[in-house]
Amino acid sequence: MPLFEIKNLTYYYPETEQPALHNINIAVEEGEFLLVTGGSGSGKSSLARALAGLIPGFHGGRIGGTVYYKKKDIQSINRRDLAREVGIVFQDPEKQLVMTGVEAEVAFGLENIGLPQAEMFRRVAEVMSFLGLTSLKEEFTATLSGGQKQKLALASVLAMQPQALILDEPTSQLDPAAAEEFLNLIKRLNEEMHLTIILVEQRLDRCFHLADRVVVMENGEILHDGPPGETAAWQVKNGLPFVPPVAALFARAGYPVVPLTVKEGRRLLKGNTGNSNKAAIAAVQQEQAVPSNEERPAIEVKNLWFAYPNGREALRGINLSVNTGELLAVLGENAAGKTTLLKHLAGLLKPDRGKVAVMGCDTRQATPTQMARTVGYLSQNPNDYLFQDTVAEELRFTLDNLGLPDEGRAGRLLERLGLARCRQTNPRDLSSGERQRVALASVMVAGPRILLLDEPTRGLDYGLKAALGNLLREIAEGGTAVILVTHDVEFAAEYTCRVVMMFDGRIAGDGPKHAVLGNSMFYAPQISRLFRGIDSGVLTFREAVERMRHFRILEWACGKNS
Amino acid sequence: MLQKFFYQEKGVFLQSLHPAASMTFIAVLLVQTVIFTHPLYLTGILMVTFLALWAADGLAAWEGYMKAALWMAVLVTAINPLVNHNGNTVLWQGPDLPLFGRPVFTIEAVSYGAAMGVRLLDMVSVFCLFNLIVHPDRFFSLFSAFARRSALAASLATRLFPVMLAAMENIREAQQLRGVDFSKGTLKERAVKNASLFNILLISSLEDSLQVAEAMHARAFGSGSRSRYRRYIFRPRDVLCLAGSIFSLGVSIFSLARGLGSYTYFPELSSFFNNSASLPALAAVLGGLSLPALLSWGCNHCHYLKSKI
Repeated sequence: MPLFEIKNLTYYYPETEQPALHNINIAVEEGEFLLVTGGSGSGKSSLARALAGLIPGFHGGRIGGTVYYKKKDIQSINRRDLAREVGIVFQDPEKQLVMTGVEAEVAFGLENIGLPQAEMFRRVAEVMSFLGLTSLKEEFTATLSGGQKQKLALASVLAMQPQALILDEPTSQLDPAAAEEFLNLIKRLNEEMHLTIILVEQRLDRCFHLADRVVVMENGEILHDGPPGETAAWQVKNGLPFVPPVAALFARAGYPVVPLTVKEGRRLLKGNTGNSNKAAIAAVQQEQAVPSNEERPAIEVKNLWFAYPNGREALRGINLSVNTGELLAVLGENAAGKTTLLKHLAGLLKPDRGKVAVMGCDTRQATPTQMARTVGYLSQNPNDYLFQDTVAEELRFTLDNLGLPDEGRAGRLLERLGLARCRQTNPRDLSSGERQRVALASVMVAGPRILLLDEPTRGLDYGLKAALGNLLREIAEGGTAVILVTHDVEFAAEYTCRVVMMFDGRIAGDGPKHAVLGNSMFYAPQISRLFRGIDSGVLTFREAVERMRHFRILEWACGKNS
Repeated sequence: MLQKFFYQEKGVFLQSLHPAASMTFIAVLLVQTVIFTHPLYLTGILMVTFLALWAADGLAAWEGYMKAALWMAVLVTAINPLVNHNGNTVLWQGPDLPLFGRPVFTIEAVSYGAAMGVRLLDMVSVFCLFNLIVHPDRFFSLFSAFARRSALAASLATRLFPVMLAAMENIREAQQLRGVDFSKGTLKERAVKNASLFNILLISSLEDSLQVAEAMHARAFGSGSRSRYRRYIFRPRDVLCLAGSIFSLGVSIFSLARGLGSYTYFPELSSFFNNSASLPALAAVLGGLSLPALLSWGCNHCHYLKSKI
């Protein structure tokens, strides 16, 4: 008997003409691990909300068709009973934690369903112990790291002992190691507790193979529904990008079998890699070299030390030099000091010790407003930039503040960012991807020589990421130094030329991306892990395709000789 | 930056108390600060609070509070004799000033001002102690027994406060790097610039509130009557601290009824001890209040005591 069954579901959010979900028919069996993927605005989150009974219950709007839970119409189930059966964890932990303390947060849902004290105490203790949160029970939720917050959000839902757990992009704000840990935990819940898992994700390299079934969505409709291997093959055949890089690679190279994990991929590669072409590798490595620049560096950081007023040393002896035209990614665990470094480069924070020079100017001698002519800074939340009535006014606001003439530059920039049609639209009415581009435009319009971006790929799908990556490349090629802080190793590998790894306030690695990411255990992209020990020159999809072609030729040649 | 001024789990004895015991201790200190006018009582309360802050490992935070409070106390002490000309013992009489008249500084007015300054330090210290030893969730869970909705609303607001402060700082930084200089311009211009910060914060908060509400809805908030999660156990240490606080309050009321805790400043300063019971009463008041700090010291140094309470 299916746990969930959706029949002919069509749903419109209030005051919208386009359906968020269109004629959805799907069933989810008890104990199944279902992965839902697709682009931004494809209806993934709406489907998750429908399964959790939140639409139309919470959001309102128009609905057609029915969602059944255990053969009962989900809208007819008492909300309290439904909360005991179906739990949902959202993307942003900040926006789902409601209490001050950790233990109170876990107990919040239990209080809402009116459980007796003894039962609550047992459940809170159990779930905190299971998720390793016991040592944090007296902490304030505001002081937890991103990974801990997401784990707490999960704990507060698990405490209600649901039979089905729905997760809406739960790892989007976690560093690779924390994301891996979180997903392994989810798999454990599925396997050991027989919990039905419905995972909505866009970062697929770590979760595609965990699922029993994968659903691909587009424009509110289900495009494909099947086992991971079959879905990957179908997507590659139809030119869809929602597959792990390793699967896309083998499919593109024409292999009949599509592997889903690095392990499977390496097994397929074995035997074909004996005579890897050293000349080709050298060529790739030559291409990988960071472009040298004889001029004075755009950014020069010397022995930078910084501690926050609470005494926590966020930066410890940082030395960094960035040239104009360089596109550099800063990676590292949560709270490693990445954002603190970025704020120093923007002049928002001043060094306790050491020196930060931006275009030759000591940041200690300049106010952030003075730095604004040289440095553009896009923080993690694009909403921090948007408050004018129209997109055009947002750009004019920056120009007016800096006393710069427009001379058509706002129009050209909007055109370049694909925002020309939104010129007179209120930025708050735009999608998250568009909002981010407006925020970027409001910074770029001043023509900064240095562009700093904090987690710019958060919440973006493959297509939007590719557009952003290409744009950043163009900006860098125009002579701007671009530094981005990200958890997205695939993006860093694909679009940047240099990578800095930070841990515990220190730089643990700095160099060409192949040298840094290729040697990393947890921060290597999936493609790099596939070729580890076989060909250290392979990091990006393009490089891998070239290598695969070479292997195919070898395979063909060997077959002919034998 | 402001974290040290608020509750941080340090595992100290005073933080381990049941909220009823710690809140009673704080409430008694506050009541005594208000009802006593005797300088020795006020100074004694300050010393007891200092002791409790020391036991709570909160002297660094207290120092921060005192940096502001001391200036205010000095101001109170200085201003009182300027505006209060009561008292028979004239210290100094100034020249005739236009509009202001002839300032008269009396020893009684200076003493009264100093006592009020100490009272101010008492209150700030007690507030500091409250912040350091009472976890906000415990505080609200105590009140949720009889004011559930208000306690929950206050708890939610408490969580939002630091989140909104951080959001405000992020918005300010983003605006600064778009060329907004918050320190420049006329008062009106600066007000407009700051208003834009609140504008962004408000719009974003409204958008975020929908997601918070959705998460609460998904966890059955508002689906019917709630139960109350109580995780705090009442231990012998709580009984002892509660008893000490109540004993101190009882003696305080007795002292006031006998006129021991009050002090006459005007027209002339009265004697510090006009009754033979004055000193024992003061010792009893402070003794009861010192119990939590003494027990904390005892637990740190005597495993047997710790295991028994």
